[in-house]
Amino acid sequence: MANLSGLFDSFDNLDQISVENIALWLKSAPNLIQLENYLVNKILYPQTLPMSQSDMKIDLAILREALRVNGPKPQQRENNSLLGGNPFLNITLRKILIPQRFLTFVPDLNTITWVFIDALLLNRRREDFFWDLWTVVLTDDVDEIVGSILLPQFNKASGIMELNVSNKNYKIRPGSLTVIPCPKDRCEIAYKFIQGKILGKEENTVEIYGGRLGLMIDGRSQ
Amino acid sequence: MISRIYRSLKGKGQIFVSVGQELTPDEIIGEAFISSGFRTLNLASLLSVPPEKVDKYLVRKLGQKIYKDELLAFKKGGLFWGKKVVVAPTDGILDFLNPKTGELRMSFLPKKQKLASGVYGIVELVDKNRGLVLIRTQISRIYGMFGSGKPRDGTLKLLGKREDLIVRENIDDRLNDNILVGGSLIFKDAISAAISASVEGIITGGINAKDFRGMAGGRLVFPRRLENDIGVSIVVCEGFGSIPIGEDIYQILSEYEGKFVSMDGNKGLINLPSFESSSIIRVKNTNLPPFKEGVLDIDVESSEAELELGMLVRVVGNSFSGNIGKLIGLDQSETLLPSGIKTYLATIETRRRKIKIPVANIEIISGA
Repeated sequence: MANLSGLFDSFDNLDQISVENIALWLKSAPNLIQLENYLVNKILYPQTLPMSQSDMKIDLAILREALRVNGPKPQQRENNSLLGGNPFLNITLRKILIPQRFLTFVPDLNTITWVFIDALLLNRRREDFFWDLWTVVLTDDVDEIVGSILLPQFNKASGIMELNVSNKNYKIRPGSLTVIPCPKDRCEIAYKFIQGKILGKEENTVEIYGGRLGLMIDGRSQ
Repeated sequence: MISRIYRSLKGKGQIFVSVGQELTPDEIIGEAFISSGFRTLNLASLLSVPPEKVDKYLVRKLGQKIYKDELLAFKKGGLFWGKKVVVAPTDGILDFLNPKTGELRMSFLPKKQKLASGVYGIVELVDKNRGLVLIRTQISRIYGMFGSGKPRDGTLKLLGKREDLIVRENIDDRLNDNILVGGSLIFKDAISAAISASVEGIITGGINAKDFRGMAGGRLVFPRRLENDIGVSIVVCEGFGSIPIGEDIYQILSEYEGKFVSMDGNKGLINLPSFESSSIIRVKNTNLPPFKEGVLDIDVESSEAELELGMLVRVVGNSFSGNIGKLIGLDQSETLLPSGIKTYLATIETRRRKIKIPVANIEIISGA
């Protein structure tokens, strides 16, 4: 078997991730036997590309679960807090690290970032205010900062975040996932909450990293 | 290619050949007495009766001797069903009947079993203590994707078409000592039935990952480093799920129906010995590197090569998997797939149609 590279090369425990958990990431999952066969064929032929939309959705579900399983564990942070201790999430520097080569297999930067958020940030316990803001970095020989992720905390389902980015106004509601273009290296944002806060404040103006992704705001966490 | 194969006695016995001796396929190279072991027959299933009623249909008493092909159990036909006849699959003693499962255990009678060479070749090594003979011979080799089980040999038997599903009902005791060629998928029940029937090996297009995980010690890591054996060897030619055996492989295997073949499940290899008597000349004129214990010949790793029009290629992965055809086109620009990926496509002409596949999803079988 030739050693050809693929999306899942970074994980050496792919055969041990739960097929039931992969199915949870899919709206209409195939039966578990078919899903496991799909997964193992990916291990066997890592270089193959998904052709259909449904195959791509399965690939992304596998990636979400693989990232979740291989994401940082609480004890990892204690042992190696200076470096962050994980190839995909640097907790100390609040960075999401996406290998550049992943874009060969998932070309849409928004989609791959969303996958990383689902796997690594969603349902993760916040340790302080700064968990609300993450920088997205594409890692390669030279790293590239492509944008930021904001995780607003809404107190109620009726909450609203009023956001101004580059003199444009946006309204962010709970449960939404919004991408706002911000191609500059640094972007100034101003926000005001009704029933919510971010970075510990209901109203503030801050400067964050921009780039080709821009600003991704995940309103799903309460 | 010239390679080495093992032939081994299944019990204690004698080897009749010596190093350097030339062999023909029918030549008896040793004999052994097989005395231990038993076989289980599910008479309830074979007679289609409830387990507790099986004893009514036994025509021999427990503890009696019975010889191969003698009548063991019989059920008369009725208005809506035919008669059922079960004969002894081997010489043995009727040992125990389980009324809860309807299974009959037969202990083997000690019997003499002769071992034929099976191939044209030259004896390279004789190990009388282990009852082993190592033979240099000419073979065609098929590399499957992966497999499980130690080296085994037997008579090749096709079970059906290359796209058939292999279920328990396809396996019976007459298939003992055979290497079976299945279709696109073999189910766990059929593998269990094959072990009960003393089948030597199974060649299949696909297998469910869950079943293979059970055979491979729980983990599915490729290439595999651990050797496993569950009592039957399996070579999977295409991948996981229902994938017909490739037309090229099936065509070659069809030509070997009823002939002696060997396989190594753990290495995913099938060895098809040459049955042309002239092959002995090539065997004589070819020297192999010195033999090392456990290493029959050099393992061939697959490699990367540049695609050329006219090559025979196979589709791998999860779409159109197992399709084989001639490479008739390579796009010069990238195409946006429905999955959102931009990539170069190859056009493949299979026997039935032309398909466009990402270049990353094909592997080369042979050159232009």
